[in-house]
Amino acid sequence: MREVLATVLENIRIAEDVFGLTFATEERIPVRAGQFCMIGTGDLPLRRPFAICKAEGERYTVCYRLKGAGTRSLAENYRQGEKLSVLLPLGNGFSLSEKEKKIAVVGGGVGVFPLISAIRAFAQEKEIYAFMGFRNRAAVCMQYEMQRGRELVLATDDGSLGYRGTAVQAFMENFNRISPDAVLACGPVPMLRALKSATEGRGVPVYASLEERMGCGIGACLVCVCEKEDGSRARVCKDGPVFELGSVRL
Amino acid sequence: MVDLTVNLCGVELKNPVIPASGTFGFGREFDEIYDISVLGAVATKGLTLEPRVGNPVPRIAESRGVILNAVGLQNPGVKHFIEHDLNWLRAKTRVIANVAGATLEDYSEVCRLLDGKVDFVELNISCPNVKCGGMAFGIRPESVEEATRAARAALEKTPLIVKLSPNVESIPANAQAAERGGADALSLVNTFTGLAIDIERRRPILANGTGGVSGAGIKPIAVRMVYEASRSVRIPVIGMGGIGCAEDAVEFLMAGASAVQVGTRNFTDSLACPKIISGLKTWCENHGVKRVSELTGALKLK
Repeated sequence: MREVLATVLENIRIAEDVFGLTFATEERIPVRAGQFCMIGTGDLPLRRPFAICKAEGERYTVCYRLKGAGTRSLAENYRQGEKLSVLLPLGNGFSLSEKEKKIAVVGGGVGVFPLISAIRAFAQEKEIYAFMGFRNRAAVCMQYEMQRGRELVLATDDGSLGYRGTAVQAFMENFNRISPDAVLACGPVPMLRALKSATEGRGVPVYASLEERMGCGIGACLVCVCEKEDGSRARVCKDGPVFELGSVRL
Repeated sequence: MVDLTVNLCGVELKNPVIPASGTFGFGREFDEIYDISVLGAVATKGLTLEPRVGNPVPRIAESRGVILNAVGLQNPGVKHFIEHDLNWLRAKTRVIANVAGATLEDYSEVCRLLDGKVDFVELNISCPNVKCGGMAFGIRPESVEEATRAARAALEKTPLIVKLSPNVESIPANAQAAERGGADALSLVNTFTGLAIDIERRRPILANGTGGVSGAGIKPIAVRMVYEASRSVRIPVIGMGGIGCAEDAVEFLMAGASAVQVGTRNFTDSLACPKIISGLKTWCENHGVKRVSELTGALKLK
């Protein structure tokens, strides 16, 4: 974990309401797939957690949707050359065992961005089948990154591009054909609930990256907890953000 | 060479900078970023007799210059802390165990378990985020005194700090009540009760409804309260509320604080405490101050 003042290299619109922000640190900081960073947005006190979707050398890319005052400030105030307060890398990230070879990757909305880091990390050694869902064609971005695996199915709610429906529906239609050893997932809670119930009893572990409002981002403040099936609480930032989907209550 | 040490109730701290309870866990996470032995002390997450799961999420919200939290005293319980974290933390720096409870008996029992094992107990009678989380004890002077007395009776070896709520009628009255009850020191301010609304959903952002307001925006109010408290008692005062840099810390010292706590700023800059420590040293050097303790109460009104 490092607290750094990074330099913005690029902060541009890459889809409707979605920005891609690339920043550089002085030295290379190793980042695993599915880890995230906290970034100060200027106007408001709390930093925002963003999945690191690409890490190349000392350059890192995060993608974010314009949602509230924090992300708006980030989009408006941080141009190329500006300094950015960043804490990274955070969280456990995705990890797969030797035995898990055929991997389905199921993402929805901004949930596709943490999964891009997983596709990049595992595309060489694993068979990746990606199912990525978006609201519509205008929301689709970074397609070239999602294509690194064996297959990519794009889904849109309105059918304006690819499969008409959700990523979970597209995935389940292909489940038996692929017969995955593991699933990596990220997306809104209703999507994760649908995935949890669709995959229950099929004997396939689903590793899902969760989102929660955070304070410190390192596990100290106990703000971003989720509830485990055994009734205990886990810190999304430190014990997660990736959890076995069957072990958490959504 | 500036002397940054301060003496608090006979216990020497290497400097007056202490991360505030609830923002720093038991120190382990921040120790992955910097060696926390540089800190004057660490105020632990609030400890209760039994483990607590805390409030539902969302537990945090913000507004310009401030955040609101309603964590609800999630903690593994005092026994777990003593078994798993205390020795590790004591090897690093001074330990201020923050103690919360629902009843006077809870407070007494937790204090008894910690007596002689930590450098200070900080009695949290001001948590606004749980029913019976202590704030009930922190509002009226009579109950401040009663809770302090109960904790005092349970502590034979360890100095007692009473953490005061700002959500009260009179800071001096409550400060004096804690002193009468046997407090060795005071700390203030805890958070101000606030409400943040999600206007799209027309509902509170926090699952708890209200939450405790902290951060840069509360600083002038906190400085005033520290000033009022320190003038009304003879025991030392630890000041906090919106400290973000060394200059802010100097303000609290001048208002009458002997040491300071840093909370919310740890979230926006994880290196805030070490930066404030080195900034204090530089400030003293630049102002010909040989000992940081000289600044306590240095405020001139004319």
